[in-house]
Amino acid sequence: MEKENQPMSGEQSLAIITAMIESTRKDLRDNGSWYLLWGWLVFIASCLHYILLKAGHTAPYIAWFLMPLGGVISIIKGRKEDKQQKVKTQVDQFMKHVLIAFLVSLFMVLGFMSKLGLSTYPMLMMVYGVWLYISGSMIGFRPLQTGGMINWALAILAFFASFEMQLLILAAAVLLGYIIPGYLLRSRYNKSTQNSTASFA
Amino acid sequence: MSSKNMFRELDPLLHQQLRLSVVSLLMNVKEAEFTYIREKTGASAGNLSVQINKLMEAGYIHVQKTFRDNYPLTTCSISEKGRAAFEEYVKALQDYLKPQT
Repeated sequence: MEKENQPMSGEQSLAIITAMIESTRKDLRDNGSWYLLWGWLVFIASCLHYILLKAGHTAPYIAWFLMPLGGVISIIKGRKEDKQQKVKTQVDQFMKHVLIAFLVSLFMVLGFMSKLGLSTYPMLMMVYGVWLYISGSMIGFRPLQTGGMINWALAILAFFASFEMQLLILAAAVLLGYIIPGYLLRSRYNKSTQNSTASFA
Repeated sequence: MSSKNMFRELDPLLHQQLRLSVVSLLMNVKEAEFTYIREKTGASAGNLSVQINKLMEAGYIHVQKTFRDNYPLTTCSISEKGRAAFEEYVKALQDYLKPQT
């Protein structure tokens, strides 16, 4: 489709503007991979911690060794995505700042674990809720927003629960806040990719 | 005023298919690589380069030339002037498309 220097009608101009906006909009959709990566890692770690605790293991917290592993995977994945990203949006820029705010809060909660004691996991879910609600609002994806609200509700519940129960509540929080919305996001992404391929066929 | 006269008010720099495609695309993003714009517009590299240069000379877009993995990388983004011109163009277009009473 070579764009020639030919006269255009107002309708054609409008059609070009609409087509370009629609075409980029399809590309900017999140495929949910980050939510799935961290959702599964935290889900497995919290369930494993619970199982080891119940089995009478001397150091059940070793289940969280998955977190540094997730960190390494994230760095590699982030670098690869950065190289492949041919287009950047204002939302990308804004999301970056929200992610920084989320990570600072997350590390503060984890860093003061000894002071927070039983409030650590509820605080963690509260921070998750903020991230999910804001990122869901920015990309216009309701399941993430709902996941954020569920995390807040489960955080309140966890404030009144025993440590063992908190591990299960945390697993439920990431399942409902990250994993399920992550798969829904992936499905939306796959559908939009298929539609976009079909339109060029 | 006749619709013909109104049509003349449309910015001639934007009232061209490829340049309008480029600016519409850039309005939607923070920055985009040359290869991405080419892929989306379906234009040839030569024609796209010419039109991008015209938009850059008019101050409508910023063009940044860098390197990635030893390959040249051209990135484009819309300028404030370009954003204002596009908004003005859309307004003029709306007037033009409005049913004449």
